[in-house]
Amino acid sequence: MEFLDEALAEIDRKLQERLGAVEDQQHLEELRVQFFGRSGEVTAVRRRIGELPPADRREAGQRINDAATAMERRFEDAASSQRDRVLERQLTDTIDVTFPGIAPNEGAISPLRRVVDDVCAYFRSHGFAVVTGPEVEPDYYNFDALNIPPDHPAREGFDSFWLSDTLLLRPHTSPVQIRVMQQHRPPVAVIAPGRCFRRDAVDARHLFQFHQIEGLLVAEGVHFGHLKGMLQAMCRELFGEAQNIRFRPSFFPFTEPSAEVDTTCPRCGGGAAPCGMCGGSGWIELGGCGMVHPSVLRYVEYDPDVYTGWAFGFGVERLALARYEIDDVRRFIDADPAFAAELR
Amino acid sequence: MRVPIGWLREFVDLPDDADTIADRLASLGFPVAEIERRPQITGVVIGKVLDIAKHPNADRLQVAHIDAGDEEPLTIATAATNVEAGQTIAVARIGAVLPELTIAPRTMRGIASQGMMISAEELALTAEWFEDGIMQFDAQTPAGADVVALFGLNDPVLDVEITTNRVDAMSVLGLARELAASYRQTLRLPEMLEATATEANPDPGVAVEIGTAGCSRFVVQRFDGLRGGVAPAWMRVRLALAGQRPIDNVVDVSNYVMLETGQPLHFYDAAHLAGSTLVVRDARESETLVTLDGVERKLAAGTMVVADDRHALGVAGVIGGRDSEVTAETTAIVLEAATFDGARVRRAAKSLGLRTEAAARHEKTLPQRLADFGASRAAWLLTRMGARASSVRAFGQGLEVPAPIVLRTANVARLLGFEVPTPRIASELQSLGCDVTIEGDDVLVTPAWWRRDLAIAADLVEEVARMEGYDRIEAAVPSVAPHEISSERFEREHRVAYALASLGYGEIVTYSLRPADELIRLRKSGIPFAGVPVEVLNPLSEDQRFLRTSLIGGFATYCAQIDRPVHAFEIGDTFRASDDASVEETSEAIFGFAVEPSDEPAWRDTNFLRLKGDCEALLARLTGRTTAVERAQLAGLHPGKTAAVSVDGVRVATIGRVDPRLAAALGARLPMYFAIVSLEALPSYAIRRYRAPSKFPGTSRDLALTLDATIDARAVERTIADAIGDLCTSVTAFDEYRGPQIPAGKKSLAVRVDLQLRDATITDAQAEAAVVRARDALSAQFDATLRE
Repeated sequence: MEFLDEALAEIDRKLQERLGAVEDQQHLEELRVQFFGRSGEVTAVRRRIGELPPADRREAGQRINDAATAMERRFEDAASSQRDRVLERQLTDTIDVTFPGIAPNEGAISPLRRVVDDVCAYFRSHGFAVVTGPEVEPDYYNFDALNIPPDHPAREGFDSFWLSDTLLLRPHTSPVQIRVMQQHRPPVAVIAPGRCFRRDAVDARHLFQFHQIEGLLVAEGVHFGHLKGMLQAMCRELFGEAQNIRFRPSFFPFTEPSAEVDTTCPRCGGGAAPCGMCGGSGWIELGGCGMVHPSVLRYVEYDPDVYTGWAFGFGVERLALARYEIDDVRRFIDADPAFAAELR
Repeated sequence: MRVPIGWLREFVDLPDDADTIADRLASLGFPVAEIERRPQITGVVIGKVLDIAKHPNADRLQVAHIDAGDEEPLTIATAATNVEAGQTIAVARIGAVLPELTIAPRTMRGIASQGMMISAEELALTAEWFEDGIMQFDAQTPAGADVVALFGLNDPVLDVEITTNRVDAMSVLGLARELAASYRQTLRLPEMLEATATEANPDPGVAVEIGTAGCSRFVVQRFDGLRGGVAPAWMRVRLALAGQRPIDNVVDVSNYVMLETGQPLHFYDAAHLAGSTLVVRDARESETLVTLDGVERKLAAGTMVVADDRHALGVAGVIGGRDSEVTAETTAIVLEAATFDGARVRRAAKSLGLRTEAAARHEKTLPQRLADFGASRAAWLLTRMGARASSVRAFGQGLEVPAPIVLRTANVARLLGFEVPTPRIASELQSLGCDVTIEGDDVLVTPAWWRRDLAIAADLVEEVARMEGYDRIEAAVPSVAPHEISSERFEREHRVAYALASLGYGEIVTYSLRPADELIRLRKSGIPFAGVPVEVLNPLSEDQRFLRTSLIGGFATYCAQIDRPVHAFEIGDTFRASDDASVEETSEAIFGFAVEPSDEPAWRDTNFLRLKGDCEALLARLTGRTTAVERAQLAGLHPGKTAAVSVDGVRVATIGRVDPRLAAALGARLPMYFAIVSLEALPSYAIRRYRAPSKFPGTSRDLALTLDATIDARAVERTIADAIGDLCTSVTAFDEYRGPQIPAGKKSLAVRVDLQLRDATITDAQAEAAVVRARDALSAQFDATLRE
């Protein structure tokens, strides 16, 4: 049986020598096959048991098993420390983490839509629905139903693009009020964003195409204070917690009483310092609002003795200019994709 | 409207600070666009020229002695040439501060000059509106009077915005009335002359015949003995501060009364009236009139004129005629103070293209009593200037009586959300000139005659709110009762936008109004665009001539402008003219990209496949349904590279490469690929049901086919799937090739077939049998061969 012991010792010696020189995982696999594989060196020794007398074979088997187990353990230990070495070597890698990240191919939502969405989200959380209406309107919806008969001086405030004697591009989103009220009985709580058109010469503050966002609430027991409360909270959503609003008397044929709404200038916070955004007044104008005129309610067959309501209409561009401190309203049109991405 | 604060102070006591006054006006609904601050002048007083003589040592200078109210006259040298003894002028004493200089003692060619004579420019008035040289003042003004205090020269001028409903506030007196009510001050009315017929005031000798429904009152009065000339200095200064150029005494009175009271007046030269009757009538067909500005104008139908026996003298409420204009030779004038129908004045002014100050007031229909009021004020001013007044005669309907309004006190709280006690409501409305009676919980209100805008209870509630201050309105949150109004359209658009952004497209906004030039270019590109564009009748420029019929034009123009690779999208409405003169409006989304040109064979376009992949992903996300794509056509897209995308059999999108003719017409350098999605056609989201994968492993086979180049990949996929049946879980073409190794007219197509059973592991034999079935079907249907 000595030859077995010698052979096993020789294999073990060779294994230790080889393991000492192992460089990588692949080398280890080769050694596994060479020593422990189906035609490996340990198997070759097992095959030689047949050369022994039958009485010795049992013990020889036991010895080979013990030796093989020991060698396998040695092999596994070596493999394990090899894996550790590999991992440790990886840990020594170091990179410049300040190198610029690789930008994803990311899209963007226009700042106008984001303002609209934020306003809508706020009002929807208070039970308002969001509705839309056509951009081409008959003068009936745009003026007459809003208590602005032909030759009314207020028509002059809406310098509109006309498409025929009776059709025009809507200069405000208020016709949506009429459409909604004609289709539904109170309570009505809607917000209506949309594109509008006026014959304004294009400059840093004006476009002939702009967006408005309209709000309308008609129910029993609705008063002016509810409008102030909603608009105040809306401005805080849009601009921040410190935001205040104020109402100033104004005139719109479709509301009575009527008001202009101002909010604290978000840039200067209402301070007295010279401010390019508010001109030093500390306030920026949002738009008009008021209690729905009884004539408008009667027009859609709501009883003004039962229902009261309020409406407002704000310029979306104006909100976006203030919110993102954009200097020129023309930037919203045909904007470079970088514009929206910048404001992300 | 420009309002010198000094003028306001004549009628009401006000705080010193202009900002405070401006804030108060804004809180009353009259925002102040600008506070024009004037240079602060001191030390300028009225002086009487006692004598004036040539300077002994200088040819161009004169030396005058001037009584400036001191014990000793001042000696002042001047280079001005319009100074004579006996004149009343203004002098700046030593130490006076003028806009550009401070007056110091100085010696002019040996004579110590004790001040300086003043021209309009030194008082910071528009110099060309006043006499050259030293400004002349009224002889009655006492020597030594402070010129700045006399004329309120240092007071700022407010530029006040007045809403269209408040024609009563388009006057200094109107704004003073508002401030008086707000400050609970007494309003001091200006001095008036109400000339009733007496011996001293004979009949005007002019009758008025009203022959149109558009004139409800016409007041006339005749003035004799007025010599033409300049108006008093105080009046000219005030007009100048208000931005109105002084002309002569009669015109200035007319402007002064209009600015002060709001009533436009017109004066006729009595000598130029034919007959003794003024007629207010509608213009005759093709009647013309030479207006004050010397232009001969054709009067549109419906325009009202004031005429004498011969012809029209002026356009009622808009502008006078040249023939009866008051001139330096005029000795007798006839005053007109009238009330016209606002709508008719507006139409007349519009048809003439003239928006005069008079028309701006008349077009809002003035209260009738204002005509009498304005006439009385003019009479006082003219008689002070030396004219003899006739009595006043008024023609027209009886004076309108304001209708009383019942204001229920509860209505105030109902609209405003806060309560105001009834007596307080009454006193606030009274302070605004209304006649008020309290009857229990109701307040019976007869509006002031100048407040024609007060017609219903809600109008009065606004008045109460203005007097209380809008700051009293307290923020409250309403509880909104449930309702059934749907947000569906908005949500759909919202989802489309955010899905496109997540796919890497950036949102843009282009103009809905497109330039005529763009339309012409699109037409010239030879592409038959569908739909008749809607034309704007009154664009500001040719750049806004047409409404877009499609989003493609604007989007392609945008990509051409950017001129580098870009991924973008836009959502908006498009418009087409309908046969019945209406406009068809639809909501669409367009998305796509411009890319650097690639070098691909004619039968392959990877960018199209990228677009298609994005479109399918978008529609799957939005609808949860499966999409089908087939070859299609759309004007503006490449005829061989366009496809329709349907969801559940409904066409919702068209995708393709932009027609190179269109790209060339718009000057686009980069190839563009667009998808147009109809928001209206987009079906609602259908919830997808989960199907657990088979627990048994599947296998796949790649088939390499050679077949006719005209056969679509989709037909091959479908044939294979049908031939194999349930065993086949998916078939996907993944490579196409044409070229030298493939016979002409043929293509090579590589297709991956996934095979899997739900109840067992698929065997090699089953897979091979499936491939054989596929091969046989392809061979039979397309004459395709399977390459090994």
